Amino acid sequence: MRHVVRQHSLETKPLTEPVLLILTSLAAHPRHGYALIQDIELLSNGRVHISTGTLFGALRRLLEDGWIERFEQQDTSRQKLSYRLTGVGRRQLQLELDRMKHLTRTGFARLRAAESL
Amino acid sequence: MRKAYRFMLLLYPRGHREQFAEEMNQVFEQLAAERRERGWTWYVRFAFGETAGLIGGAARAWLERRSTRPEPGQTPTRWMPQELAEAQQRVDASVADMVQAIANHRFERARVLSNQEREAREKLRELREKYGDEYGRCV
Repeated sequence: MRHVVRQHSLETKPLTEPVLLILTSLAAHPRHGYALIQDIELLSNGRVHISTGTLFGALRRLLEDGWIERFEQQDTSRQKLSYRLTGVGRRQLQLELDRMKHLTRTGFARLRAAESL
Repeated sequence: MRKAYRFMLLLYPRGHREQFAEEMNQVFEQLAAERRERGWTWYVRFAFGETAGLIGGAARAWLERRSTRPEPGQTPTRWMPQELAEAQQRVDASVADMVQAIANHRFERARVLSNQEREAREKLRELREKYGDEYGRCV
């Protein structure tokens, strides 16, 4: 029998909207700060304009928690430092998306139930 | 606005400034140029947003700095030099990934992670020699 181990502490850690958007943005590939802000605007359909103060505060906490890591990217852009998800960060994002999927299903089911009354 | 931004960065704790100030400046300048092109309404909104974000961010950074002072015996990653903290986190992440791979019977993956962990530990050992023992035992 296969046992799947999950870190309990990660499952209980709540994610704020900026953190969720940052992790989602980094899920596909690494990005530097400016690219993160642009992608977050895109992800949120222009609804969220994250400030540099908010972005780098969140990045600092994510680095401290080991959910992302910073590295030097050899390219031609102005910014050399980029961020990428670690295995821990990827699992945390997966857990949060699972939670959201469950909540969405439950929410729609209840709406349908209320409409059929 | 650029000067005001640099000045407001002084509100942050020193550690945060050393780690991010240069990068924040670069991002701010790129954003400012882009918002100016979109028009003055965008630029004014951007300026207010940045000011509020910096003040809030600095306040939060100070509060977190106070609330995360390590207990005796606790691994003080938040108080280490950045490269040391990141090396410590790489070791921790490698160990966690390896444990999970073994638990899920993915032994080939575990072997790869074990090599990564060994390299990460070696890097951490070098950094600990560089910085000395003032940051406590971390491995």
